Amino acid sequence: MKRTLTMMMVMAVIAMMSLAASAGTISGKVSGVSGESVVYVDAIAGKTFPAPTAKPVIDQKGLVFQPHIVVVEQGTTVEFLNSDKVAHNVFWPSVGGNKKLTHNLGTWPQGEKRPFKFDNAGAVPLLCNVHPEMAGYVVVSPTPYFALTDKSGEYKIENVPDGSYTVTAWHEGAKNQSKPVAVAGDSKADFTLSK
Amino acid sequence: MDMRHPVSLFVVFVLTIILLAGSSYAIPAFSRQYGTSCSTCHVDFPKLNDFGKAFKDAGFKFPKGDEDFIKVPPLMLGAPAQKDMWPHVIFPGTIPGMPQIGLRYNQFFQYTSGNANNYYQPSGAPGTPLSPTIPRTDFEAGLFSIFMAGNFGSDIAFWVDDDISVSGLNANGALGDGYLRFGNIGRFLKLPTDALALRVGQFELDLPFTQARSINISTYDIYTQANIGSSSQNVNNQFSMADAVQGVEFSGGHQYGGYHYSLAVVNQNTGGGTVSSATNVSSPGGFFSDSNYKDIYGRFSYRFNLEKDPASRHDVQAAGATGPRDHTYLNLGTFFFKGRSVQRFNGLTSGGAADVLTAREPFYRFGGDFSFNYRTFNLFGLYMYGHDQDLLLNSGFTGFVSGTPAKFNGGFLEADYLALPWLMAILRYDHVQSTADFLNQADSGNYYSPVGTTRDRVTPGVQFLIHANIKASFEYQFRPQQALTYDANGKALNPFRTNTATGALEFVY
Repeated sequence: MKRTLTMMMVMAVIAMMSLAASAGTISGKVSGVSGESVVYVDAIAGKTFPAPTAKPVIDQKGLVFQPHIVVVEQGTTVEFLNSDKVAHNVFWPSVGGNKKLTHNLGTWPQGEKRPFKFDNAGAVPLLCNVHPEMAGYVVVSPTPYFALTDKSGEYKIENVPDGSYTVTAWHEGAKNQSKPVAVAGDSKADFTLSK
Repeated sequence: MDMRHPVSLFVVFVLTIILLAGSSYAIPAFSRQYGTSCSTCHVDFPKLNDFGKAFKDAGFKFPKGDEDFIKVPPLMLGAPAQKDMWPHVIFPGTIPGMPQIGLRYNQFFQYTSGNANNYYQPSGAPGTPLSPTIPRTDFEAGLFSIFMAGNFGSDIAFWVDDDISVSGLNANGALGDGYLRFGNIGRFLKLPTDALALRVGQFELDLPFTQARSINISTYDIYTQANIGSSSQNVNNQFSMADAVQGVEFSGGHQYGGYHYSLAVVNQNTGGGTVSSATNVSSPGGFFSDSNYKDIYGRFSYRFNLEKDPASRHDVQAAGATGPRDHTYLNLGTFFFKGRSVQRFNGLTSGGAADVLTAREPFYRFGGDFSFNYRTFNLFGLYMYGHDQDLLLNSGFTGFVSGTPAKFNGGFLEADYLALPWLMAILRYDHVQSTADFLNQADSGNYYSPVGTTRDRVTPGVQFLIHANIKASFEYQFRPQQALTYDANGKALNPFRTNTATGALEFVY
């Protein structure tokens, strides 16, 4: 009996070590642009992910979308809040450049929230037709492996299983850049974007 | 010499300049201060939407939570806690954190009817100089203006605008409006919020539909209608409703809902003039304005809210699925102006005694107006009646006797349809009926309104917002066929139309 328990513990440790070895990171820097960018792992053939239950909130406050950029996993419900003492509208003309996915959430007063579930991947430019100067973005990642860079462009995506992926970098107003990345432990991927 | 006609010439010259130059303002300084677009407050600038009206009513502030929206914080002229120390300190206020300056420039291109020069027919002996040709096409410099507006905290708002140049001429402009407005002073009398405000300075009268901030290229004819009597009348009242006035104004209520009133006590703006050559006015003669009396203007309106959407019925604007829009409403109003047109006679009586006589001819204007709005369609109109008492010198030139009053009436009807957020279609009808105008017309020199007791004009127009601060405007003014002379059978000789196509390009920044 004692020998059996010892064997089980050894096997468990080996299993945990092998798991740790297969969950790597992708890190690097997005350059050529200034400010925050988004880096995410593109769709993986044959693999689906459960929709997250968390509901991030994008606020409209002081005639500004706050935060300016939100990255979510495909299937996430985002709640749009109006904290201003004026009416705001939220609409987007496209999702990932697909104009057929345009949607208008309507216009609502202070204190109210309206949810929307983003089932399509891609960048969603948020606009308000009450205040045309307002702009924000929801970037919908097809996988749970994504990161928002810091202002210097540095990023790190953690817990990415070992494997080969296509990684895409997005920045407001710039052309997307995608490149293949083989993840085996810690991997590096730098991007240089241009407008 | 009968001075009536040169005076009329001057009046129509000024009117023509106004007609061509227009006058309208939007405030890009507010865009800078709040970091928001012109379209937050304007529908096809400078026409205000309901939010813009509320912003103006609040003293150039957001109606609620203004401090949350300001991107450039105001500069404190004293810590707020200093209020507790008053009257031993100056009551603290603020000034805008940046100069609230906006600039505006426009230019025009005009096209006139092919037979326009029938207006200037050869006359007199051969060799007599003729009036200038009316060109078919004409590029025209417009107006360069500077304007400033904002608030100093404590519900004190300010506005100053000045035309730096007009028609390409330097320093040919003038002060438009320049005033301080003390908002919500009724709180000192425990009156409801916004029931009483005070405005002091020079300002456009609280007209039902603003002329100074109209979107149209040409002015409303009835607003620029002076009352110059015929040759048998002494009336020479150059006041028009579009004139800026100086004085004080009490007002209350809101422009964007419910009741609104204003009552202004203002200087007389009536100039002098001369009577007919039958009088004994001698050098230096003439007449001089007299401002010892003040004129009164009053207005009351009520806006009925017909908005069906219960969720936004009580908000400043209705919240449609595609953004805000002005409420569906019907606004009804009335207005009156009561004043005296003063003319002084400096000369000799028939008995040879030195004499100065002052004719204070009471006059009034009154009218009614309506405005109906449904989504992006706005139909509005105004009717006005003008009446000037005519005082004629008596036979001994020692006083006055009443003559036949000089009257006129007219108005306008306009439909504005914002077909797209950047495309405004306009159709307008102007009408003025004035017997005195007809009797004076032959020598009036006003190409745009030369003949007839009735002047009608239909003006379709279209305006494009190239950007929120750049606009291209076009309008075509249709007028009936007219003539200056008729044969014995009443047939018009050398008839012509004074139709005019005008394009304007303007920007504010």
